[in-house]
Amino acid sequence: MPNLREIRRRIKSVKNTRQITKAMELVAASKMKKAQQAALSGQPYAALLAETLAHISSRIEDVEHPFFEEREIKTRGIIVVTTDRGLCGPLNGNLFREIMKIEGNAEYVSVGRKGKQFLSRSSRNLLADFVVDDNVPYVTIKQLTEFMIEKYLAKEIDTIEVLYPHFVNVLVQNPTFGKLLPITGLEDMITQLRGKNAEPFEHADDERNFKFEPDPVTILSDLLPLFVDRQAYQAVLSAKAAEHSARMVAMKTAKDNASKLIDSLTLQFNKARQAAITQEILEIAAATAGND
Amino acid sequence: MNLEIVTPEAKVYEDTVESVVLPTTTGEINILPGHIPLVTEIQAGEIIVPKPGDGQSLAISKGFAQCVGDKISVLAEDAIHIDEIDEFAVEEAQKRAETALTTMEKMSDEEIAMLETQIAYARAQIILKQKRR
Repeated sequence: MPNLREIRRRIKSVKNTRQITKAMELVAASKMKKAQQAALSGQPYAALLAETLAHISSRIEDVEHPFFEEREIKTRGIIVVTTDRGLCGPLNGNLFREIMKIEGNAEYVSVGRKGKQFLSRSSRNLLADFVVDDNVPYVTIKQLTEFMIEKYLAKEIDTIEVLYPHFVNVLVQNPTFGKLLPITGLEDMITQLRGKNAEPFEHADDERNFKFEPDPVTILSDLLPLFVDRQAYQAVLSAKAAEHSARMVAMKTAKDNASKLIDSLTLQFNKARQAAITQEILEIAAATAGND
Repeated sequence: MNLEIVTPEAKVYEDTVESVVLPTTTGEINILPGHIPLVTEIQAGEIIVPKPGDGQSLAISKGFAQCVGDKISVLAEDAIHIDEIDEFAVEEAQKRAETALTTMEKMSDEEIAMLETQIAYARAQIILKQKRR
């Protein structure tokens, strides 16, 4: 028969756990709201940026910018965006599974501690590690993309991709490969950024020649890095929103499980107590019967 | 014509306008209906939307503008309506950025560029506010 004190101790410890997970759930929920807001409000800007770029690239006949040039892919450059801390369900695990599927040469840059640990443990080529805290400072992302672009221009890597958990809604986060360089398929990207209900992107049927001020080359050389930065920034924001929502859901499940456990332990405790009382009554009754 | 001003934080402005004045890097330009397709760079300054009765103006940080058909889209790092400018807070922010620029050592190029953008934006807001008085 289980010991009464033993059960009482377990109930107490499970209650403590429940309290902690509940607090973590609330913290994640409030952080999630902020992160979600940031991720969503950046979308029109990113869409418009892509649109401007699409206009320019379609109008300049001989764009010979290395960012548009599709060369043979020998080494992929992949930015892996993970969380710093655990307890967020299968979020990081799903990303790692994607990494394991990658064949051929690839160089990695990690954002987030979990990704760094995974990449170094599985002895993949980790070029650099960037630490991005919860407010996601734009400067850090800029440094990150600058670093990658340098490698890209030096032909050490032939693509720049970002692997991150895409925030769809609170319950769904998909591991996604976002292509930063070379720039292809702008039209699809714009359609996707505008959201499901928007019309697909089409080039304006304006036959007149585009005018560029000061000149196309200057605009392109200012616009392209900004575009890449924004794209990366948007991915990290999405990853943060995904992290907090995944953590919230994981903590909610943990809290619910703790409640269930407490219920069944309480039942067990009451049964044990009743058994002990019955036992004592039986003993007393037997003793009185023996005396008569 | 349809004018929209978008920043990373929000869509600051969206309305039908008759013309708009943009502060480009090569000088102020006034866009009227039927303008040829244009892509241009914008520097910190003032966007004026003249309207019958009273015009509206916004302070803007650097960015890009495109004009295609009867649609003008302005992409900026930051933009604010003149009535929402808090002059005092802006001055504070400008001072902070300037001291950071002069006192901090070992800054990356990106950080310097960012601070300079902030200062230019702050200056544009203050000039705008003072002009209004």
